[in-house]
Amino acid sequence: MSSYSENNSIQTFLTELGGLSRFTVQFFRELFRPPYEHKEFLKQAYSIGLNTLPLIGITAFIMGLVLTLQSKPVLEEFGAESWLPGMVSVSIVREIGPVITALICAGKVGSGIGAELGSMRVTEQIDAMEVSGTNPMNYLVVTRVLSTTFMIPILVFYADAVSFYGSYLAVNLHDFISLPLFMNLAFDPLHFYDLIPATIKTFFFGFAIGIIGCYKGYYSEKGTEGVGKAANSAVVISSLVIFIMDLIAVQLADLFNVFMR
Amino acid sequence: MSEISEHIDQNETLIEIKNLQKAFNGNQVLKDINLTIKRSENIVVLGKSGIGKSVLIKCIVGLIQPDSGVLKVFGREVTEMNQKELNDLRTRVGFIFQGNALYDSMTVRENLEFPLRRNKIMKDTKLINELILDVLDSVGLLEAIDKMPSELSGGMKKRIGLARTLILKPEIILYDEPTTGLDPLTAREISNLIVKIQQKYKATSIIITHDLNCAKIASDRLMILHDGVFKAKGSFDELKNSENSWVRSFFETV
Repeated sequence: MSSYSENNSIQTFLTELGGLSRFTVQFFRELFRPPYEHKEFLKQAYSIGLNTLPLIGITAFIMGLVLTLQSKPVLEEFGAESWLPGMVSVSIVREIGPVITALICAGKVGSGIGAELGSMRVTEQIDAMEVSGTNPMNYLVVTRVLSTTFMIPILVFYADAVSFYGSYLAVNLHDFISLPLFMNLAFDPLHFYDLIPATIKTFFFGFAIGIIGCYKGYYSEKGTEGVGKAANSAVVISSLVIFIMDLIAVQLADLFNVFMR
Repeated sequence: MSEISEHIDQNETLIEIKNLQKAFNGNQVLKDINLTIKRSENIVVLGKSGIGKSVLIKCIVGLIQPDSGVLKVFGREVTEMNQKELNDLRTRVGFIFQGNALYDSMTVRENLEFPLRRNKIMKDTKLINELILDVLDSVGLLEAIDKMPSELSGGMKKRIGLARTLILKPEIILYDEPTTGLDPLTAREISNLIVKIQQKYKATSIIITHDLNCAKIASDRLMILHDGVFKAKGSFDELKNSENSWVRSFFETV
């Protein structure tokens, strides 16, 4: 019985993986095929940015503040308080900013895309698009995947900036430090090879959120339960994929650092 | 068969279906479908729910791929068409969905503009506006132009769905249960509207329905789908007074 269910889950996993791979290939095929739906792309990008801005801002601010407050006593113990801004900035830029932003977007944007496309599938709006001679892959999927791919890196920069401000406030809760000095100390240990891999991986995070959300929504099963499942699995799978991508990115970034140094 | 269809039988064949088959997970939904439809003919397909009526019309527009058989629309085999040819076909064949399938994030105007801007590569806003007003006038809903689909009643949604299809001036219109879920009065209004549209746009149509009133008003020919094949064909009165008790009982119970 247990071996049967294991086989079944392996089969489901492989079917999903195959389906997602095919969907990704289809996306790249449609990407360069006209018509280019630039208006829909801008609308989606605007909506993603606007909808997630407050949530990312609040989370990034708290992350910067908490990380500083938690690290302060440890650094104080061996008199390395002046390293605090630098340590926080490296953590934020390399890891916390991209991953937290991507996870928030997986929850908010990925589920939104999954639910929207899922309900369009259930109410036959995708079929209606197809029978009116419009390619839904081009209009719905390409625009949404491109907008998440380009908006997540921008949101990460925003999250990093707000986190820095949170960290600056945390330092000033106990001591006094001017903003220019804080920024100087924060940027000092940051190098080109910290920024580049961290930025590149955010494009992949954005792509994963968009393509998984679209895939789950586009092939959502009929009925309202199908829409719920599409939204839910879009979040779960894209969050997992973000961590796996991050793991790979860390290894590649290390290689990049060795090469650059 | 009615006088109208006899007269039209001499015209061009728009849809030709031979030995069409389709199965889902081993369940043979369409077993042996044969159907020829001439220009301006109006066919009504009756049958129980889940019998495969919608599958048949979805095959005609290429939304579902049949397993085997001949399926020619405008003389071309649908299953052999590439994406561009399918898109061209779909601008000539309108499809009215059972649930209307209006884009709920767009206003009525945007719903109507959507197929127009993409298929006719129409840039002239004035011309687009004229076309929108014309089709809205045809379905009697000029006042709904700036409303969202969520603000419309069931009957209004049906009319807007019809308007969105009409805006591309299709030669064939496929109706998937156009009166389902409507009260008897609105259902009758929609049936009358279908007849009006058939006369105004000279469109050929296939109507999938359970509604005998709709079938009576809008059909030249009726077909009853059962167990994957057309069990009975003829005019409304012929089938209603059929010698076959199963066909007659079908009319009494639907």
